[in-house]
Amino acid sequence: MTETWTAPKATAAEWARRNLFNRWYNSALTVVLGVFLAWLAYKLVVVLFGIDYEIIRRNLLLFMVGEFPRDQIERPFISTILFGLAFGLGAATAAASARHAAAEADLAYAAPTPRMLVRRFWPLLALVAALLAFTRTVMPTVMALSTILGGAALYFGARGMPRSMVRWGWMGTLVLGIAAFAVIIVGVDGGWNAWGGFQINIFLAIAGIVIAFPFGLLLALGRRSSLPVVRYLSVTYIEFIRGVPLITLLLMGVFALGFFLPEALRPGPAIRVLIAIVMFEAAYVAEVVRGGLQAVPKGQLEAGQALGLPAWKTTRLIILPQALRATIPAMVGQFISLYKDTTLVNLVGMFDVLEVALVVNSQSDFIGKRLFFLTLAFAGVLFWVGSYTMSREAQRLEKKLGIGER
Amino acid sequence: MSTVFADATQAKGEAIIQVEGMHKYFGEFHALSDIDINVGRQEVVVVIGPSGSGKSTLIRCINRLEKHDRGRIVVDGIELSDDVRNIQEIRRETGMVFQQFNLFPHLTVLENITLAPRQVRRVPKAEAEQHAMELLERVGIPQQARKYPGQLSGGQQQRVAIARSLAMKPKVMLFDEPTSALDPEMIKEVLDVMVELAEGGMTMIVVTHEMGFARAVADRVVFMADGQIVEVGTPEHFFTSPQEERTRLFLSQIL
Repeated sequence: MTETWTAPKATAAEWARRNLFNRWYNSALTVVLGVFLAWLAYKLVVVLFGIDYEIIRRNLLLFMVGEFPRDQIERPFISTILFGLAFGLGAATAAASARHAAAEADLAYAAPTPRMLVRRFWPLLALVAALLAFTRTVMPTVMALSTILGGAALYFGARGMPRSMVRWGWMGTLVLGIAAFAVIIVGVDGGWNAWGGFQINIFLAIAGIVIAFPFGLLLALGRRSSLPVVRYLSVTYIEFIRGVPLITLLLMGVFALGFFLPEALRPGPAIRVLIAIVMFEAAYVAEVVRGGLQAVPKGQLEAGQALGLPAWKTTRLIILPQALRATIPAMVGQFISLYKDTTLVNLVGMFDVLEVALVVNSQSDFIGKRLFFLTLAFAGVLFWVGSYTMSREAQRLEKKLGIGER
Repeated sequence: MSTVFADATQAKGEAIIQVEGMHKYFGEFHALSDIDINVGRQEVVVVIGPSGSGKSTLIRCINRLEKHDRGRIVVDGIELSDDVRNIQEIRRETGMVFQQFNLFPHLTVLENITLAPRQVRRVPKAEAEQHAMELLERVGIPQQARKYPGQLSGGQQQRVAIARSLAMKPKVMLFDEPTSALDPEMIKEVLDVMVELAEGGMTMIVVTHEMGFARAVADRVVFMADGQIVEVGTPEHFFTSPQEERTRLFLSQIL
């Protein structure tokens, strides 16, 4: 009885017979579907390779940065490189800090190899390669290679940093990140109101979630507060905002803010939209954080209390670190959803990537050529690559965080 | 309520914990009813009784994890009231060990133990860590200091939890069924630590089902049922000649 039974490895023919042709009606279904899928694949190939991508090629810059001043166009390029470096250094610092923590506690830590990274980020790399195929000048290629290779070099070079350097690693990441933003704000005609295209979508998503996070955290804590006033205010805010569509808030942000504030204090359209997005996201972040807070067992709070820790220290040192760790996957999901929702800003007159995808069809060379499907599909692919990569990374993180806990 | 001695609810020496006429309700449910018990310095009191009898609630009231509804609780001269400063003061003097250990999973063993002394008592890091290592030495697991709770066995986790409580240098230790969540082979290692603690003169209230421990270490045994103290006495009297029918029934079921 000690033998274990293993299923014999099925050949392709056996597998097909068992799964595709096991009954006459399944066989019929397989044939019909097979023919349809083959036809679809054929059409897709014909379209993909037979189509004229001129509309994308000529407007690539418009898709990416909108009407950013063309005489300062090197700035977004430098900004991209700086972001790549910030990302590389940030990842290296996170890896180093995880490695040190694991070594302390005798836990295994496996550093990812270049091959693993390519497998994780292939959609991103494929997109970059496809975009570069559209370009005719050398600048974009130089930028892309500097970004990817620079980021990778920094990651592999710096992840072996000693413990004492971790603090500086984070500091450097922050400085690079700020520099990346500064390059496309400071000294640019019109500041960030000059931004457009995909750049504004990415900016609104990142700034939206980063600024909304502390507010969301406070709202979530407020919702659990023992003070009724704080609790009711938090609940009212969260439930009100969650009951309103984002587009309503965006319209309010654009029109109402302009109405209530005097001319001199009136912020530019980018800021108004950002305020609306932050108000909206804060409520959702609050609900995500609440989920995390509820995931922390009551015994943790009691242990903190029993040790004589004041309530706010129990929250900050015991409850929140565990709650926030548990919310990372949901927070990434929220970020992905916001990332896609940023396309709504084209309805309040922002020149975002979706707006670009629409207006390029009215250029004299392309008008009436019915290329909407192409420009919209292109915008869709830009979003899909980011969303898909982030959701896969979130899944990975979720699995990883299960280790070393409890 | 009858007792073996007329004054069995009173501590022999000076009382460090005084509970007088205490009542506790959960909604309509009368969880604790007219509880009177004093605990003297360096005394070990073991609380036993069927589940749902209010044993855990009693000790959870003493450090205000549950709020009592009537009566008085005085710990080391401080009366438990709604004043947050009083509550904090009492919690600092009172260590508690939980059935589910309740270690902080995101902190290492050393961080678990040093957190409260550093945050509450403002002990410098080096000093707190040195004291933590001494405590780990005492509970027999100094080599696990840098690990996370999730990497330890249940018995080791509970010993860390005891060390964590001791790090605050409490005057009283409350144990809420400290061995009930442990595999049988790990119960002894935790009980050994508790016995040593009792012999070192720590004031302890222990809710437990370990009758061997009660017999060996307890100065007094308290038997509770249905939210009331049914009988109090020395282990010898308690286990050999219990006065109450309810006590005899309980003992016949578990022994």
